[in-house]
Amino acid sequence: MGEIQAGEEWKMSDYEQMIVRQRKWMLYLLAMFLLGAGITPFMEVFLGLLLGTIASFYNLYLLQKKTLEFTEAIARKQSSRGIGMLSRFAAAALVVLIALRYEEQFHIIAVIIGLMTSYIVIMIDFMMFQNKDKAGKRGE
Amino acid sequence: MGALAAAIAVGLGALGAGIGNGLIVSRTVEGIARQPELKGQLQTTMFIGVGLVEAMPIIATVIALIVMFQ
Repeated sequence: MGEIQAGEEWKMSDYEQMIVRQRKWMLYLLAMFLLGAGITPFMEVFLGLLLGTIASFYNLYLLQKKTLEFTEAIARKQSSRGIGMLSRFAAAALVVLIALRYEEQFHIIAVIIGLMTSYIVIMIDFMMFQNKDKAGKRGE
Repeated sequence: MGALAAAIAVGLGALGAGIGNGLIVSRTVEGIARQPELKGQLQTTMFIGVGLVEAMPIIATVIALIVMFQ
C-alpha cells in the first residue's frame, strides 16, 4: 500500500479490490452453507462443506497475504520468507484428518468440494473481471 | 501398499507444484525487479498462477490421506 499524502484521495489497487471481492464471495458461501446445515435435512453434507470452506478460506487468506508480502519485499529489494505452500498443505491435511476421524458428522466428498471452493471463486472472479478491467483501461 | 501409494501421490504432486511455483515466482521476481511500477499487475498474475498451481497437489494430499486412513 502506498503512502497517502495530504489532500490525496485514497484508492485501492486492483489487487486489493480483488482481495475484497473474493473475501466477500467466500463469506456469502459460508453463510449459505451454514443456513443449509441449519435448515435442511442434509446436515452432514453441509457441515462437510462448511469445514472444507473454512479451511479453503484460511488458505485463500494466507495466499493473498503471502503474495502481497512477497511482492512488496521484492519491490523494496529485501529478502522474503517464501510463499507458505507447506502451511496450506498442512491446513488441507488437518481438515481431511478431522473429517476422517468424525466420519458420522462430516461427509468426506463434501469436505473435498469445500476445500476447492476458493479456487472456484478465484477462477470465476478472474474470468469476470479480466474482461471488465481491460474494457475500463481501453476506455481511459 | 497404501502408504506407498500415498507417498507417490504426495511426492509427484509436490514435485509438479514445486516446478510450477518456481517458474511463476522467478518470472515475477524478474518482472518486478525490472519494472517496479508493474507491481500491481504482476501481483495479481502471481496470485492467480500460484493459486491454480496449488489446487492439484492439495487434491493429491487429500487423496493420499484418504488412501492411508480409510
